[in-house]
Amino acid sequence: MPIMQRKTRVSDEIPTASLADIAFLLLIFFLTTTVFNEEKGLPIVLPEQSEEQDVSPKNIIFFLVQADGRVVVRRGESEQEQVVSYREVEGILRAELIANDRLIAAIKTDPNAAYRHMVNVLDEVKLAGAERISLQVLE
Amino acid sequence: MAIKNTGFHRKSGAESEIPTSSLADIAFLLLIFFMVTTVFRKERKRTIDWVTAEAMEKIDEKRKNIIHIWVERSGDVWINDRLTPYDDISEIIRPIYAENRELVVALRGDREVPYRQINTITEELQAAGAVRVTFATRLEQRSSRPRR
Repeated sequence: MPIMQRKTRVSDEIPTASLADIAFLLLIFFLTTTVFNEEKGLPIVLPEQSEEQDVSPKNIIFFLVQADGRVVVRRGESEQEQVVSYREVEGILRAELIANDRLIAAIKTDPNAAYRHMVNVLDEVKLAGAERISLQVLE
Repeated sequence: MAIKNTGFHRKSGAESEIPTSSLADIAFLLLIFFMVTTVFRKERKRTIDWVTAEAMEKIDEKRKNIIHIWVERSGDVWINDRLTPYDDISEIIRPIYAENRELVVALRGDREVPYRQINTITEELQAAGAVRVTFATRLEQRSSRPRR
């Protein structure tokens, strides 16, 4: 029975040397395909309830966000108002902060204004480097 | 003299090759380790148009300390996959905050939502005591505006 006894030349063992390659390939595949949805945003700390502070009017600058997205700038002391586009807010606030670093940027938003208008202004205020920010509703 | 010379030719008994057969075990161990330690957030994503900003910062807080409040364009508020009436927000957040004082609220609002809604939410959060809030944003395209 010579046929029954013939041995195949192909090795019947699983090659263990390439197992490491397969495992690392899987590892790297999963590492690269994993997407972490990063949590990013504009952080702010709200004041505690019932925590109200009296602020001297000369230490405050108001940004009144209108329903259509225009921004009215009102400096605390003077009653004069200036209508600007939100992109000018950073420059205005930066200049004011150089003069007075205890300045509070108060963002007063019209309740009917879209959320993005308020975030645009908040973004500018953050870009200007303001530390003290207040969020209010325009009445 | 002959004895001295043999010292240089002496072979070490230890094998100098790295055992390749155990590499697979190491790799699979790493694979399984990462699979086991990965925690998926089960919350479903809501469809909103993100607000954009440039000055945004990464929330430097562990994932379990972050809670999302979604505000859809229709004004619907979703917390932990539950449609939540505005009046109930503080009641829902209060026990979560009491349990975890490190809590950060990530407010994910649609860009067209009226500010009235957002203000109501921040007031509710203040009532619950959760004062660390982040307005979640996506990056603004810088090419559209010059840097000062």
